[in-house]
Amino acid sequence: MNELGLLSNGVNPVLLIVVPLALAFAVPLIGFISKKIIKYIPVLAFLFNLIIAILLIPKVLHQPIIVKIGGFQPPFGINLYVGTVGILFSTLIALAGFLVSIYALNYIKEGPKEKYHILYLLLLTGATGVVLTGDIFNLFVFFEILCISSYALVAYFGNRAGIESSIKYLIQGSVGSSLLLIGIGLLYGQFGTLNMADIANQIQSASSPSIFVPMVLMITGLGVEAAIFPLNAWLPDAHSSAPSSISAILSGIAIEVGLYAVIRVLFTIFGASNFLMFFVFLGVLTLLIGEMSAFSQKNIKRMLAYSSIGQIGLIVFAVSLNTQYGVSAGLFQMISHTLGKGLLFLAAGYMIYRTASMDISSFEGIGKKMPYTSLAFTIGTFSLIGLPPFIGFPSKFMIIKAALAKEGILFTVLVGLVLLGTVIEGAYFFRVVQVIYFKKGNGNQERKEAPITGLIPMFIFALLIIFIGIYPNFIIKILNSAASELLNKIDYIRSVLG
Amino acid sequence: MSLELLIIVAFGGAFLTYFLGKISSKLRNSFAVLNALALVVIIACLYGQTMEKSFYFGFFSLPLILRNNVLSWFFAIAISVLGALSVIFSLSYMRNRERTDFYYLMMLLVNAAMLGIVFSGDLISFFIFWEIMSWSTCILISYNRGPALAAGMKYIIMSIIGSMAMLVGMLSLYTTYGTLNIATLSTLVASSSHGYLLFLLIIFGITFGIKNAVMPLHTWLPDAYAEAPSPFTAVLSGMLTRMGIYGFLLIMYVIVGAGATLHLGHGFFTFNNILAWLGAITIVIPTFIAMLQNDAKKLLAWHGIGQGGYMILGIAFGTSLGMAGGIFHTLNHAIYISLLFMSVAAIQYRTGGVRDLNSLGGLIKKMPIAFIGGLLGICGLIGIPLTNGFVSKWLIYKTLILNGAPFLAFAALIGTWGTILSVYKFLHNIFLGQLPEKYKNIQKSPFSMRLPIIVLSFAILLFGILPGIPLKVINAIDVSLGFKSLNVTLWGIASDSGTLNTINIFAVVLVFGVIIWLLFKAGRKAPKVDQYDNYAAGAAIPKGKYHYTVDYYNPFYRMATPYLKDFVDVFYMKIAKWTQNLCNTVRRIYTGYVGNYVMYIVLFMAFLILIQLKWSVF
Repeated sequence: MNELGLLSNGVNPVLLIVVPLALAFAVPLIGFISKKIIKYIPVLAFLFNLIIAILLIPKVLHQPIIVKIGGFQPPFGINLYVGTVGILFSTLIALAGFLVSIYALNYIKEGPKEKYHILYLLLLTGATGVVLTGDIFNLFVFFEILCISSYALVAYFGNRAGIESSIKYLIQGSVGSSLLLIGIGLLYGQFGTLNMADIANQIQSASSPSIFVPMVLMITGLGVEAAIFPLNAWLPDAHSSAPSSISAILSGIAIEVGLYAVIRVLFTIFGASNFLMFFVFLGVLTLLIGEMSAFSQKNIKRMLAYSSIGQIGLIVFAVSLNTQYGVSAGLFQMISHTLGKGLLFLAAGYMIYRTASMDISSFEGIGKKMPYTSLAFTIGTFSLIGLPPFIGFPSKFMIIKAALAKEGILFTVLVGLVLLGTVIEGAYFFRVVQVIYFKKGNGNQERKEAPITGLIPMFIFALLIIFIGIYPNFIIKILNSAASELLNKIDYIRSVLG
Repeated sequence: MSLELLIIVAFGGAFLTYFLGKISSKLRNSFAVLNALALVVIIACLYGQTMEKSFYFGFFSLPLILRNNVLSWFFAIAISVLGALSVIFSLSYMRNRERTDFYYLMMLLVNAAMLGIVFSGDLISFFIFWEIMSWSTCILISYNRGPALAAGMKYIIMSIIGSMAMLVGMLSLYTTYGTLNIATLSTLVASSSHGYLLFLLIIFGITFGIKNAVMPLHTWLPDAYAEAPSPFTAVLSGMLTRMGIYGFLLIMYVIVGAGATLHLGHGFFTFNNILAWLGAITIVIPTFIAMLQNDAKKLLAWHGIGQGGYMILGIAFGTSLGMAGGIFHTLNHAIYISLLFMSVAAIQYRTGGVRDLNSLGGLIKKMPIAFIGGLLGICGLIGIPLTNGFVSKWLIYKTLILNGAPFLAFAALIGTWGTILSVYKFLHNIFLGQLPEKYKNIQKSPFSMRLPIIVLSFAILLFGILPGIPLKVINAIDVSLGFKSLNVTLWGIASDSGTLNTINIFAVVLVFGVIIWLLFKAGRKAPKVDQYDNYAAGAAIPKGKYHYTVDYYNPFYRMATPYLKDFVDVFYMKIAKWTQNLCNTVRRIYTGYVGNYVMYIVLFMAFLILIQLKWSVF
């Protein structure tokens, strides 16, 4: 531990953003040397990020790291705020990024591969930037990097559906971004600062109507990416027409980073705790609408996409409970969703590749043809439903407990609705599992697995799902510390401004 | 022998069996049997030991506890013995099926999960094992493909609803009392307000009512029993469904406690009275629906629901006699219903999966062991004296009479009457009457099928003649739950209104048997009628197959069918349909037109502003 501490002393969190960003721009240059090694660059980049992030965890748990870019003392200049939340998300981003980039080694065979890797690196750089930055305009910039690269990646296959949904995504995303920018502008005009801690500090003494408008604008703007109902209409199209590796990232990382931004803005900047009851309802509504829409889907990726909406609803519900336990539960659910949905999209990717169809009915008997992939898919579904001993269970356990800890019949009813969502989720996921294993497929019964580069990430995802499902204590300390960081605005301000 | 070892052997053995199957199927089979038998031995060694041990702290630092007491032991030994027998039975039943490795894995996993449930000393491990049991059961039910998929789906949906109810109940206990340890809870909960206790009993009652198929939560059961692979149906019907009874015992008499449970409500509407009435309904309606079935497994399945009603009736009253009756009936039911399903499975195995009662017949001589199993099974099911079902039904009747519940007793009697009518059809249409031509060369069942049938048949008689053996343990359960001890002897049991003495009955039956035998011996020797000629006992009949058992009870059917539809199931299916339509409607929110989507964004913003203007929350 001591050596680890020593090692992490020399590590600058800026590397988490700089390395993938620099590598993204280096990709075309390296492409001149050899086209073959390009695809290994994201693997390396995120392996590096993963190691750095994990090394930083012990130190960050002890005390948040404030990185002053260019040495300017906050509130001047741009600073990074590497708290537990930030490091938790960066680890998650790096982990998912690393595993999905391994998956992409073989999965991305056609199309402009070079651009894929550049955009992929940029997307995750943007995501890491959003969760680490302590400057609101900087947040906007990283957010735009994230969004723009995902617009492009959705259309990667260049087919009609991809381009159409990419355009739809682009339109809605731009509306959101503009609103966000206006909101930031209003704040800047009012307080003359872009530093989040400084704004948060000054907002406490500001009159409420003047900050309400920027808050609405920012929440709406960020909510589009966070896939909160009714701002999430782009999601089913975009997630289902992107390449599966990108769907995994969009579902597992992009929307959660969006949600992080919403939470950060709500909790830290505006401290809008009395506004959260609205989000409790909104969360339940998002959950139910997502699950119900997923219920009758015949296209596997659309089903998974709608299920992501449902999961986002669950997270919003948990976080908006505004208790220590509730926020930890919400963060836990984010991790559980990233792992579960990531695994599902990766597994579905090769199943689709094999059957050349996204129809669930075309998966009949695929359990025999691709046993490992099917097993991985099943583990993912069980986890998302919340069955033990998978990770979805402890996270759901925490959410329900947090909700029941809020006294009153209202919360009991809401819990009932949330669990109703789980029942619907169980129904459609079990239907898929049944199709995979218990419907006799016709035609070619030959056993042909996904390539090893596809199986390894699935295996690691599944392993983590089971491991944390059995041993949730593994991350509970980080979650608790992250939750108190989000809930404790004063500490945030003090640690930045001194 | 420690409980951790037991759980490790149970779960580890299941997975090891799977991997051994990849090496050789012989190795796998012997290991599966060995594993199942090892569990029996370990559990047998645990008899009489009371222990409680926290074994794991990794789950949010909640101590996960395994504990053994007489109640757990009783259920565990039944589970493990039945599990072992049905694994043995599977050896030949599953021989030529696909994915047998997977089948054994799931079978042993279900077994292990059930053991985990009964040995859990806290609700969180209870819930975890419960869920593992639920999903692995769903997978096993779906195993046969085709219609089994719908059955599995129905099961899992109801099961998830049950689990969610339990999750709420469990977490509500956790937030209220800060612990999930069953022993601690049992000292804390009883003093809560009546409203809260009722909430607990109802919410857990939903969970366990679904599992135990109490009406109106029973609809998953007939399809699931009928479509699951038959050796697994034996486990499913015998013990798995009865985890519901274990759950009811746990919540009613361990956690809430008898004192508090029995005083909830006023007049007629007390919790246990309502439960008893639900039990009575569960006896009557399914038993008569069973009469209409032409599918052997469906017929038994409906009886499975009906018999569950007897158990509920027994435990609902919360007297020591009733408890003994309910718990003993759980054991007896496990024995005879799994025996019956195994007999059907043996028939299915030899006839190539036929379970339609109208196309079987006359198999008595071809498959004598299966017949004996079937005969003793239905005797137990009806509750004929000297079979085990008699004793437990006797106890339940006595309870109803002593508690002054004539209507419930009448319902229980009607249930028995319906049982006799319907199971006679079962026995007759399979084993008696004319042997269809195509089954002329049928062989008797293989040894690995006969063995479990013989063991279970023996158990029926043993517990029927010497009910004191299990009743001694059951009496200990009674005492441990705080009821007063019963006066149990090896061959009987005393109640306030008369004593049961099976030895006397045995002696009487024996004497009469001998007399009848002598009479027949003295009388004229009966002519032997060939099995193909038994329709009119040797008199001339038309050529070809003439099976009068088709449309058995036809007048009754015509009269009763309209009333004996499973209305509840129809209702649930309608709800499912509505839900589906609703989901389809909701999905239309995503119109696919981007203009609408942008409008949503603007509307959302407008809505936020509206909230602020109206309530000025911020």
